[in-house]
Amino acid sequence: MKRYAYYQSCINEAMTKEVDRSLDLWQHDLGIEMVKLHESVCCGGSNLDYVSPKQFALVNARNIALAEKQGLDLVVSCNTCLMTIRTAKKKLDESPALRAEVNEILKEEGLEYRGTSDVRHLLWVLIDDVGLDVIRKKVKTPLTKLRIAPFYGCHILRPSTVLGKDDPLEPTSLDLLLDALGAKTIPYEHKNRCCGFHTLLVAEEESLNVAAEALKEAMDEKADFIVTPCPLCHTVLDGYQAKALKHNGLKGAIPVYHLSEVVGLALGYSDRQLGIKRHIVTA
Amino acid sequence: MSDSTIKHHEESRDVTFRVHRFNPQVDSKPYFDDYTIKLEKGITVLRALNYIKEHVDSTLTFRAFCQAGICGSCAMRINSMSKLACTTQVWDELDKAREPGVIKIEPLRNLPHIKDLVVEMDPVVGKMKKYSNWVDSRMPEEQWGKKEFLVSEEEFQTYDKATDCILCASCVSECTILRAHKEYVSPVVLLRSYRMNADSRDGIHDQRLAGLVQDHGVWDCTHCYRCQETCVKNIPIMDAIHGIREDAIERRGTKDTSGARHAEAFMDDIEKKGKLVEATLPIRTNGIAWTLKNLLPMAVKMIIKRRTPPPPPLVKASKGIQSLRKEMKEMASHVTKDHEKKSGE
Repeated sequence: MKRYAYYQSCINEAMTKEVDRSLDLWQHDLGIEMVKLHESVCCGGSNLDYVSPKQFALVNARNIALAEKQGLDLVVSCNTCLMTIRTAKKKLDESPALRAEVNEILKEEGLEYRGTSDVRHLLWVLIDDVGLDVIRKKVKTPLTKLRIAPFYGCHILRPSTVLGKDDPLEPTSLDLLLDALGAKTIPYEHKNRCCGFHTLLVAEEESLNVAAEALKEAMDEKADFIVTPCPLCHTVLDGYQAKALKHNGLKGAIPVYHLSEVVGLALGYSDRQLGIKRHIVTA
Repeated sequence: MSDSTIKHHEESRDVTFRVHRFNPQVDSKPYFDDYTIKLEKGITVLRALNYIKEHVDSTLTFRAFCQAGICGSCAMRINSMSKLACTTQVWDELDKAREPGVIKIEPLRNLPHIKDLVVEMDPVVGKMKKYSNWVDSRMPEEQWGKKEFLVSEEEFQTYDKATDCILCASCVSECTILRAHKEYVSPVVLLRSYRMNADSRDGIHDQRLAGLVQDHGVWDCTHCYRCQETCVKNIPIMDAIHGIREDAIERRGTKDTSGARHAEAFMDDIEKKGKLVEATLPIRTNGIAWTLKNLLPMAVKMIIKRRTPPPPPLVKASKGIQSLRKEMKEMASHVTKDHEKKSGE
């Protein structure tokens, strides 16, 4: 059983609880164990870095140091947490002065940021550590006959200087995983585009337009549902779906699944077990 | 080995350019023309288009000038991505083609269309004017031409990358928010505004910043990083956008815009609970009236599905929150010292 330190994203503890609920159901089936970091704190959600660059470095150095203390990589299920914590890691790794300043403060808590733990998305762990061949063999109910629209979300791809795992504009990782689960993915332009989450409370109309365009393309391409590795994208595409479509004079509905839910479906768990019934848009 | 990989190694082959055509004087709507020409490996998309114009169809219209990635005239969408035709290799694009052997060529997005591959750049110029994208000298006019206005190398480093911009408008074409609202300031104008505001010779910093925090300004960026990823000069445009936000919070505080209030809420919550208190985030960003008007119908649906975030008293603080608070307090004293040092210089 390979172990990882698991970062609990704020949104997955509050609004999208089904993400971790699904992961908890199947993690041992795939030979991985996520050790939850109860002492970790909010990453700053792509906001703290311009409120206070130094506090941003401090809280995320602490988040990573908690994983390092256990000798484990830090695994994240939210794209923005991933990008944010990796951005802090890059800054800390590139600046010995910042690292020293932060470590001087963390010392009191018995923590030290050394840069020894990687910060990875759950999707990357599934592909690189578990492996697509193993996943293929473990699939009990392959997702055949389904046309899935993969929606990557921005912060698992860009900036490529911080993420660097997949092509920032022509990604394939999620398609490969869905293929291993037996599904057929549709090629569509919005798979690498933005969901609009980060402007929902600041420029709502813009966000609704952005989301509606993505939803429309997936529906036009006759996808059965959308799959995303990011709970923030899910919140817009599922929770705000009706509002976004209405605002743009569009009709229809399309379910949106989390990465951890589709893996669970293919491994034989039910909608109810995975928490899929909790979505706003249900099939 | 895939079909396209084999083709990639060919020294010459037939390539089809599927080009967006539209002449508003005769066409009721845009269409695509296919031009198939035999090309040799090593040729750029621009040279191929020039060949088509000279030998196949002289009516094909596009902009190009320097042919060396300097002037920025030939930006267009090649296989759906905005880039310069003169620095893009045909053979590289063959690998990315959805249909084998076919390269799709379209005009830039988010700008008015004039003809074929030519777009109107006036909206970009208009926004550069609106946000004063030039250095407005703080030197008294009587000293002009008599005294040098020096910029230190250290200062120039802070906006060196931003000066690489060639105004090709690839970032404008790829911008998520501009596509959603044409009034949005746009990445290129934010980049240039950041560069002007960082220039010690400039005298209208505060005035420019006051414009940038208004509606359709710097807070409307959705952090999708498409501008940065498609920049033909690899300029870290998001660093400039974050730089303006940091500057706005430092100089103007966090009370005057929803964007700044939203950002501050993250800092407050981390200090108090170590976690985001999502239930009150809309109220703290936009006030109660906005929240009731915009989010109430959705909240009802969320309550039914038990998806609402817990009310603030029920948000359990992270384990070890006392240590975190102490650490953040200590870091805050470092930040204060940094500011004192900076203002003393």
